[in-house]
Amino acid sequence: MIRLFPRLPPSSMKVLKFGAVWCPGCLVMKPRWKEIEAEHPWLKTEYHDFDTDKEAVQTYKIDHTLMPAFVFLDTQGNELLRLNGEVEKEKLVSLIEKYKDQ
Amino acid sequence: MHCLASLLLSAVLLLCPVAAAAEGQVHLYFFWGDGCPHCAAEREALRELEALYPQLYVHDFEVYSHPVNARLLQRVGEALRQDIGGVPFTVIADRTFVGFAPSVTLPQITGRIEECLGSTCHDSLVTLLQQSPSDSEPTPQPPAVPSSAAAIVTGTGATDILSGDISQPSSSFRFSIPLLGEIDARFISLPVLAVVMGMLDGFNPCALWTLLFLLSLLIGMTSRIRMWLLGSAFVVTSALVYFFFMTAWLQLILFLGFIFWVRLAIGGLALVGGAYSVSKGWGKGSGCIAEEGVQRKRIFDRIREAVSQRSLIPALTGIVVLAFAVNLIELVCSAGLPAVFTQILALNDLPLWQSYALIILYLLFFMIDDLFVFFVTMATLEMTGVTMKYARISRLVGGALMIGIGILLIFRPGWLMFG
Repeated sequence: MIRLFPRLPPSSMKVLKFGAVWCPGCLVMKPRWKEIEAEHPWLKTEYHDFDTDKEAVQTYKIDHTLMPAFVFLDTQGNELLRLNGEVEKEKLVSLIEKYKDQ
Repeated sequence: MHCLASLLLSAVLLLCPVAAAAEGQVHLYFFWGDGCPHCAAEREALRELEALYPQLYVHDFEVYSHPVNARLLQRVGEALRQDIGGVPFTVIADRTFVGFAPSVTLPQITGRIEECLGSTCHDSLVTLLQQSPSDSEPTPQPPAVPSSAAAIVTGTGATDILSGDISQPSSSFRFSIPLLGEIDARFISLPVLAVVMGMLDGFNPCALWTLLFLLSLLIGMTSRIRMWLLGSAFVVTSALVYFFFMTAWLQLILFLGFIFWVRLAIGGLALVGGAYSVSKGWGKGSGCIAEEGVQRKRIFDRIREAVSQRSLIPALTGIVVLAFAVNLIELVCSAGLPAVFTQILALNDLPLWQSYALIILYLLFFMIDDLFVFFVTMATLEMTGVTMKYARISRLVGGALMIGIGILLIFRPGWLMFG
């Protein structure tokens, strides 16, 4: 079978990023995510501030965990994976590649 | 048990070659404590006096770690009707010297030695020894050579000033480093310790939270001058609070006169703080704990309020007061390392300006992450963090260092006296 169109990367996978202005590790992660987002334009990300986005913080139970926190959601909005603390860019990219089809 | 102690004491007293102030000889009895800097200073001075006066025989008794010597000191105090509150305590013939200050006590000791060399002095300790609870008549002999004075305390563990560690040649402290040449470890140990401890203390990026929050408000300002002034006021006040705390702590330790129990308490604090730090660093990822915190919210509100003041003076005042309060709170979290560092400074009995210079060096490295974040953010107007990757390692290393220093403070304080 001939594919008329190349398969598009999934557009619904989403990463929720939780951080705060007072959290040094969160600030360190910002440029890393900026690069990842530039390299993966299809990837949806949302930043939630710990101090102001209380609803998201409560929904995803971020309280008393380590920040920055990254929650990977599938196309249905189910949680696939959660990472806490500083994460290397390479690790994030490999996880995005791994879960992009889900 | 009591009999055994008495017997031991008697044996010690009997063995003492003290004597009888044979003509032309002066016997000096020096009671000291391991880890007491004034004692170390006096030991150094006595060593020089021994070289100067061949007829001077110094008998030293370490009292902190040797109960027999401590009991002997107590008996000396009773015999001389002297309230002995601490060491160093020196007896030359019938004169006693409590404490040691090079400019005051040393000339007095030297004067007394010369008096006794010129005329026969009554050796009050000989009388005490003759009254020792022993059936046999003590026949103390002045040592023919100074090294025999070690016999005084052989078996009790005390050391003679001539055979003890202070007679170690200073060359053993020297070593060669490529490019830098020969270095004396005694003069670099404290600065190196200041750098290492300052960095370990400061490498707690979560303690940056107030500064980061303030910077997040400042970078939105239109006036760069106001931004720099408010930010600098916070950083400088933070450093000053720490400096005042450390110098006050140092003064307190110096004032307390190196009380044995104070040193033990600080050693205990170092052990507990070190264990806590190691437990915090063990198995934790690198990140900040996400906590709401009423106190944090209140501080953020105050910072917002101070920054939004229209006039500069109230804004500056608000920031300075906040920096003062926040750093006092943060001090509780890291009180272990600065307290231990100042205790080490006190042990080394440095001139005050040197102690202060070392505290400033400590602070410089303590503040290094704050200064980095401050200057980069102010220059680029983009919030900058510092990686927390090494915070865990610093907790583990810092904790292990604290435990090591705690053990030394309790058991071998002399090893922390670098000079």
